[in-house]
Amino acid sequence: MIQTQALLEAKETSGAVQRLHLRAPDMAALLHPGQAVLIQTGWGADPFLRRTFHPIAIDSERFSIRLPLDADRGRAWLRLAQPGAMLDCLGPVGNGFTLPPHAQRILCLGQGDAAWTLLPLVQAAAVRGCAVTLATETLSKRQLIPTAMLPISVEYHIATTDGSAGRKGDLRSLLPDLLPWADAVIAAANMDFYRHLGRAIEEARVLLPKGYAQALYQMDFLCGTGACQACAVDIAGGRRRVCLRGPAFDLVDILR
Amino acid sequence: MINLAPNTKTGLLIDSPLIAGSGAAGYGDVWPPGLKPEDFGLLITAPVSADPRKGKAQPRLAEIPAGFLLETGGHNPGFRRLEASHRRIWRRLQAPVALSLAAGEPGDRAWMAARLEELEDVIAAVELPISEDVNLSEAGARISAVRRATPLPILARLPLTRAAYLARTCLVAGADALIVGTPPPAAYPAAGEWVEAPIGGPVAFPFVLRALRRLAEMGIDAPIVAAGGIQTLDDAQLCLGLGASAVQIRSLIWRDPAAAHHLAQTIRHALPEEMR
Repeated sequence: MIQTQALLEAKETSGAVQRLHLRAPDMAALLHPGQAVLIQTGWGADPFLRRTFHPIAIDSERFSIRLPLDADRGRAWLRLAQPGAMLDCLGPVGNGFTLPPHAQRILCLGQGDAAWTLLPLVQAAAVRGCAVTLATETLSKRQLIPTAMLPISVEYHIATTDGSAGRKGDLRSLLPDLLPWADAVIAAANMDFYRHLGRAIEEARVLLPKGYAQALYQMDFLCGTGACQACAVDIAGGRRRVCLRGPAFDLVDILR
Repeated sequence: MINLAPNTKTGLLIDSPLIAGSGAAGYGDVWPPGLKPEDFGLLITAPVSADPRKGKAQPRLAEIPAGFLLETGGHNPGFRRLEASHRRIWRRLQAPVALSLAAGEPGDRAWMAARLEELEDVIAAVELPISEDVNLSEAGARISAVRRATPLPILARLPLTRAAYLARTCLVAGADALIVGTPPPAAYPAAGEWVEAPIGGPVAFPFVLRALRRLAEMGIDAPIVAAGGIQTLDDAQLCLGLGASAVQIRSLIWRDPAAAHHLAQTIRHALPEEMR
């Protein structure tokens, strides 16, 4: 983990959502898909807590974060930051996703805004030559990840709640078709979906073995080092700190 | 060198007035980037209880204006496990360590304090947090029970709003120094539930100043450590100017380790000549 100043190189706005592209070679070199970066917002002591972001793109010198419109005053401050600003970043926090060494068919499952956090992993898996399928669930087609942001080799499945694109319904309806194909699953969703995913994997593959599926446990961090104990949750058979054991966990540990 | 326990046989000598407190570095095992134990004159651990505690379920954290509430529910591994797992870590640290003893069943803290005889090569002092709701005789009894159990220096952590009320009793009962202290508790909603805990962050700082002013008026003749919301050298100097012998930081270490490192470097030079 390091603390560094990231240069806000550019901002893109798409509807109410902003994407911030940050240049910080030292941080980018350490970042893995699924890890978090804590960014200080505001000019003084308020808001006091850093904001937690899971980058949606990582290259050798830069990483990008996504800012949906919400009422949070820290993220509101970031929305007003202009290119050229320096942002104080602390990270990477915890353990990210790991591509299983022998997996060739990777199924990525993303729900809502969390789906964007899978993009660096999708990119890494495609670069490694894996066959990648990304399946996402959003409220409508306006929240979808644009196909232009995906590697050309990625197969993309969509479910929207309002039926404006892809299959009408939620991500669960896509699982029976996709799970038998996959030899590794990576998910970014909520706990209800993880529980359903565990059962669906058991139905499709008889059991849920350790190492088959990984899942992101999203939460806000205070220190990111484990000292404050703010992120302790019941996971992996005990009350453990997400910033040390996660935020990417084996699905078996999340459900235990 | 600053002596936080001038009336004990061993004393508690610290080479910097900056203390990493209240579990800012956990039990001395988690250091944020750029910070080292030698940046601090003393490390005070997170409180440990006689038995392990699972602590509070989520949510534990709520943000408030200029600060936060953190309610861990006393989450800790318990004395025996900590003693076994951390002895080697403490031995390697380049700073003295004070073990914070959490309240629990009657006699728990005295039991833990007595066990510290076996850790005297690595533990330099004990911190005793005194809770908001105790009266004078209870506070005195808690400290004297630990005083009888260990010759190590005792740092009594007082609630900021009651520091002046409790200070003399704690010193008479055997405390060697006062940590001033624990900010007032507050409540705030988070994730549909309530988080209730002492306020943390810069919002706590004015409470520290008020408590220090009261103790200065009383002419307390014992080392005082200021703790609560200290973020800058100016904050630290205000506290030292009001009679504190040392200052303790926590939230600064968590939020901005680089600023904490800068404070560690500059505070040594900012000390009056007689304190260097």
